[in-house]
Amino acid sequence: MRKANDMKRIVVLLAAVLSTAALADEPLHVVTTIETFADLARRVGGDKVQVETLSHGYQDPHFVEARPNLMVTLHQADLLVRVGMDLEIGWLPPLVNGSRNDRVQRGQAGDLDCSQFIDPLDVPTAKVDRSQGDIHPMGNPHYWLPPVNAVRIAKGISGRLAQLRPADKAYFDAQLQKFVAELKARAPQWEAQARKLSGVKVVTYHKSWSYVTRWLNLDEQGYIENRPGIAPSPDHLATLIALMKEQKVAKVIVEDFYNRSIADMVAEKAGARVVAAPSDVGARPAIKSYLDLVDALLTELNK
Amino acid sequence: MIATLVVMTALAQADAGELAPPSSLASELDAALGAQLPDAGSSVAPAPTPTNAVWRAIQSLNPDLAAIVDADFGGASGAPYSLAGDDPDLLGDSEGQPFGFALQEIEVALTATVDPFLRAELYLAIPNLSGIEVEEAVVTTTSLPAGLQLRAGIFRSAFGRQNGQHLHVQDFTRRPLVNEAFLGADGLRAPGLQASWLAPTPFFLQLSLEAFSIGAPEDDAGHLLSFGGGTRADLTYASELKFFVPVSDAFSIYGGLNGALGKTPTLRPGAPVTLEAVDLYLKYKPPNVSGGWFSVAWQSEVFVRQLHARDDTEPLLLDGGFYTQLVVQFARQWQAGARVDLLGAPSNELQPRVGRQSLALTFMPSEFARLRAYVERENIPPPTASFLSGPETWAGYLQLEVSIGAHGAHLF
Repeated sequence: MRKANDMKRIVVLLAAVLSTAALADEPLHVVTTIETFADLARRVGGDKVQVETLSHGYQDPHFVEARPNLMVTLHQADLLVRVGMDLEIGWLPPLVNGSRNDRVQRGQAGDLDCSQFIDPLDVPTAKVDRSQGDIHPMGNPHYWLPPVNAVRIAKGISGRLAQLRPADKAYFDAQLQKFVAELKARAPQWEAQARKLSGVKVVTYHKSWSYVTRWLNLDEQGYIENRPGIAPSPDHLATLIALMKEQKVAKVIVEDFYNRSIADMVAEKAGARVVAAPSDVGARPAIKSYLDLVDALLTELNK
Repeated sequence: MIATLVVMTALAQADAGELAPPSSLASELDAALGAQLPDAGSSVAPAPTPTNAVWRAIQSLNPDLAAIVDADFGGASGAPYSLAGDDPDLLGDSEGQPFGFALQEIEVALTATVDPFLRAELYLAIPNLSGIEVEEAVVTTTSLPAGLQLRAGIFRSAFGRQNGQHLHVQDFTRRPLVNEAFLGADGLRAPGLQASWLAPTPFFLQLSLEAFSIGAPEDDAGHLLSFGGGTRADLTYASELKFFVPVSDAFSIYGGLNGALGKTPTLRPGAPVTLEAVDLYLKYKPPNVSGGWFSVAWQSEVFVRQLHARDDTEPLLLDGGFYTQLVVQFARQWQAGARVDLLGAPSNELQPRVGRQSLALTFMPSEFARLRAYVERENIPPPTASFLSGPETWAGYLQLEVSIGAHGAHLF
């Protein structure tokens, strides 16, 4: 009798150990909305995560097609890492709804809005409406480029991974430290490049460089797309060109995915130079990581 | 050259070692690493400034509210063959030659999460100022296991492609002829229940089963109606199998096989009707918009319907119809479309042959407004002649569509 009980105990124990072992070995399935977050998740998650991304760096993150295969991707996700601040509002909600995955529904532990980790810029302080274009009422969502924000986001992801897999907390912490050490090793080089950009007057295509211009102390003089999401009028472009000439604006910064024809025209008339700048990992084939992204961005801006 | 300079600067800094001032970026990174983050358990962003009135408004628990208005100006050489519920009705109840203004539809949408398990959507529509209709009022589960989902309330069936879509996602001013002819003036939508299953396949495969209680039509449609006959206890059943193939980043194939079973209210009221349809949507859209916002989408639906017209012993009568359309976005703000419709293919006493050819040119000044010019030609081809022949009716519309309120998402 006693022996049978012992046997039972051993079997139960074995089963428990085996099942936890199986669970622990199974990597967490992380899905991110942009490729930069995918790289950060891979850095802090190491071999404990398997990461997929819903959009690519060469795409405008405002306009991703809600293709149904992305629902299948989300269906298997343990964690959805998103930009928030309404950046993905035009395409992510139907994918989350269609995923039939309660882990990643809004407010669940598997839903991570990374905008909570950064200090938002361009938050409207008065009532806004769409006469100002397709504005983001919660602030500017293009926040992932400055290294300080990347560290905060990576730390946020690491924290959430640890919450989902408490047993691996030490591993995620160590991965995060390793990532930050890598960034710090690059810091002197980035600072040297940044110093040359301080105070440089720029015009940007979309108002999506606020975090970068603050980090690099660029002087934002205006925007080609003065009302977000709305094609600029010839009147506005004429005013902008006049302003650029007067202020001696040197550079026009355009994300890789925007059509360059308008920027080229404005830059030519104003005597400025167009900087086609990558804004996400994957924007170009050579940009495979966040470190590559900052390297490429600073190199482009310094050209 | 620049890279060399960068490397040299970096080396110089590294060489300077202890003498150089400590990197301020590195210490900022350390500070960011050490900073207390917001509660890692919360998934939504905290208030940037907790007293901000804008933020308080965003954080209200009110449903997302949006309204869409479609207003038209148009004219036609004669009355259209049929009108879908949300087609612009220039004539109203009057006779004669249609000309003037119409308020094609006003739609008010309220959507919100109910609780951790349910989401609710309410769409009220006023087509042609004819009174409030409940276009959809539907509750959807969000947390069923095994890829299952239930929807209950009144909702648009997933039958085919255009039936599930609201007016404002149509690329043409009027719905295709097959909508009214096979699914009813308001399409296949009624109080009902839908169970659907997302198959655990590496590609998208979804099976839906639906049951509806469809009321008898108020007016005589003048032709065969598929559903709404029999008693209130006679349910209409539908089932759809949808699949999606992402051939490449740019090229997508989305299709469906659909079947429905119900009782007709016309011709031989209460007789069983079966309806089958195949829908196919092919889209080419490069993901990088710097290519010039170009996309091309080809969409087609083919319907076949069977009925014993007089008694259950005679052979099944068969009729069918289809539409095929091509829509090309050729600039950020412009798209053009062409569509060909044909009913009565094959034709018989159930359904005469009716053809329609239409063109649409749409200007989108922003994501929230559209101005569309639409021209169509309807014809009744004689049984043996070409589908383009026969008496014709021309119509043209200018359609203005605006959407206000919560930012809607685009379904594929």
